[in-house]
Amino acid sequence: MSGICRSRLAEERKQWRKDHPYGFYAKPDKKPDGTLDLMNWQVGIPGKANTPWEGGVYKLTLAFPEDYPSKPPKCKFVPPLFHPNVYPSGTVCLSILNEEEGWKPAITIKQILLGIQDLLNDPNPESPAQSEAYVMFKKDKVSYEKRVRQQAKENAP
Amino acid sequence: MSSGSMSEDDFVASDYEDGFDSQEEDSDMEYEQTEDIGFSDMVTEKQRQKAYEVDFTVLPLAEIQAAQASASNHVAGILGVTQDQAAALLRSFKWNKERLVERYMDHAQEILDQSGVVLDDTKLRLIKRPKGFVCMICFDDSPNGGAVGLRCGHVFCQACYDQYLTQKIIEEGECRKILCPETGCNVVIDEPTIKSVVQPSVMERYHQLQDRVYVEDLDNLRWCPAPNCENAVECRLPHSSFTTIVPTVLCGCGYKFCFGCGQGDHQPAPCGLVKMWQKKCADDSETANWISAHTKECSKCQSTIEKNGGCNHMTCRKCKYEFCWVCMGPWSEHGTSWYNCNRYEESSSTDARDQQAKSRASLERYLHYYNRFANHEQSAKLDRDLYMKTEKKMEEMQRTSDLSWIEVQFLKKAVDVLTSCRMTLRWTYAFAFYLARDNMTELFEDNQRDLEVAVEALSELLEKPIEKEKIPELRQQVLDKTVYVGSRREVVLEDTAKGLADGRWDFFVEFGKV
Repeated sequence: MSGICRSRLAEERKQWRKDHPYGFYAKPDKKPDGTLDLMNWQVGIPGKANTPWEGGVYKLTLAFPEDYPSKPPKCKFVPPLFHPNVYPSGTVCLSILNEEEGWKPAITIKQILLGIQDLLNDPNPESPAQSEAYVMFKKDKVSYEKRVRQQAKENAP
Repeated sequence: MSSGSMSEDDFVASDYEDGFDSQEEDSDMEYEQTEDIGFSDMVTEKQRQKAYEVDFTVLPLAEIQAAQASASNHVAGILGVTQDQAAALLRSFKWNKERLVERYMDHAQEILDQSGVVLDDTKLRLIKRPKGFVCMICFDDSPNGGAVGLRCGHVFCQACYDQYLTQKIIEEGECRKILCPETGCNVVIDEPTIKSVVQPSVMERYHQLQDRVYVEDLDNLRWCPAPNCENAVECRLPHSSFTTIVPTVLCGCGYKFCFGCGQGDHQPAPCGLVKMWQKKCADDSETANWISAHTKECSKCQSTIEKNGGCNHMTCRKCKYEFCWVCMGPWSEHGTSWYNCNRYEESSSTDARDQQAKSRASLERYLHYYNRFANHEQSAKLDRDLYMKTEKKMEEMQRTSDLSWIEVQFLKKAVDVLTSCRMTLRWTYAFAFYLARDNMTELFEDNQRDLEVAVEALSELLEKPIEKEKIPELRQQVLDKTVYVGSRREVVLEDTAKGLADGRWDFFVEFGKV
């Protein structure tokens, strides 16, 4: 499957351009010579309506390994996000993105992005990745929501 | 079949209790009898077991595989499935036959699904690509090549399936439950499907992993941790007894280790104590050494102070107490103008030093035991090095004189005994560190000292330069000493093991099993 990494990503791109969920964007980087770098993508995930995340579009980079889709891409919020399951580096902690947990080669970029969108307002307190958001989420829901709304404003497109 | 197996467990449990009664000589008969029933499949070489030894069996890989085959065969007969299918079912029940059979009677299909067993083997999962097929992993839409799909209906091309399974088996070492590659699908891929897709070498690895989890799943089995050793060891003592027994086993490969925690032989200290000690040493020993060497405590508030420059007139940053770094007495008694101290004998400074000594005592106590613990490890290494050198010399002598091979072998035996004694001594220091002081401690320390003295004497003997004429004499001395040292070690182990079993040792800490 080593050879399929790029062809699969090219196909993913085709599928995405044909149809993708509203408010999302996903595009491969451009190399200095102007050609597409399919191994690294810039994506944006909108916060769901009727949640404190509404109004923001959160930017991530997706870095695909050579053995994709045997192994999952590394998904990183840039800049790092205030969220209990996002590491201080910005890396997302989500079971479907962990090769030894829920990753399956049939998971598409669309499913990854929808999965991360779900995670935004539905954090998993079982696997905290940063202390600031986790502690506030656990102890002070009011301040937590306020902070999230503030962040949504800062990330308005 | 279920009741038969239950009663076997009962015997193991009762044997364990009887085993300790038997230390009072008169119940020997009873002990032997129980052993015959409970451990009928084990070979007991010794007539009477020593208090510090446990029963165990070394199982080579072939026997582990045979045990799985016989269990699967048995279950296959009861459930009317093939042996491979029975093995897969047993694996997902951690080889608990009774529970499997019981649950299977009520929920057969559910159990089959969760274990990844498909009874109807005629339905091959390797199929031709249907019309209009596109593999959702690689997006290949050519009509050529195979495809694989399970009962869930998710079909992917054979190459992607192969890649996926190989990744799971080779890279992730997974053999328990590999799921359909579709997002969120929980259908387990069955073994015949895996076999039809992957390379034979991957399948071989898959079977190796199955053997591995078999041993890991069973409480009374453990792999020998020695490199390249493929044996497992079976020990039927309950894990809850490992607070009072140190279950030391000797693998067929010659490696001696603890069945409870898998570390190298750590008699006489129980696993829980070993773990605690290792943690303490990892956390504390270097720090404690440094503190001991570079700091003193303030005589008034006991803060630890490092003097990194300046004169001997110290002012504690915390309590503002002024004292002399040299004699630890109050500075006020030193007068104002002279900055060197020659008043070591004054009573107030003696008091200050007494106080200091007390607060240092616990640190010193730890270092006392730690240094001896570490020293024996180091010495054992030096003994080994010495042996290597000596061996070369002996070989040389063998060539140049009429000494036979067997006559120069006594050194090897001596070094082996020496090493094992040093390992035992080493752990007696960890043991002693946690021991509360009472009459029993003295007895223990006497035994410890006897062993220590004997070990050092033997070590010294081995360091003597070897002269050709004196070899027979040296040989006799070394042999005698070796036997003596070995017997001292037995005394220490016997006494500590009995004490643990009788609850005679009073530890000032609580430790559980590992």
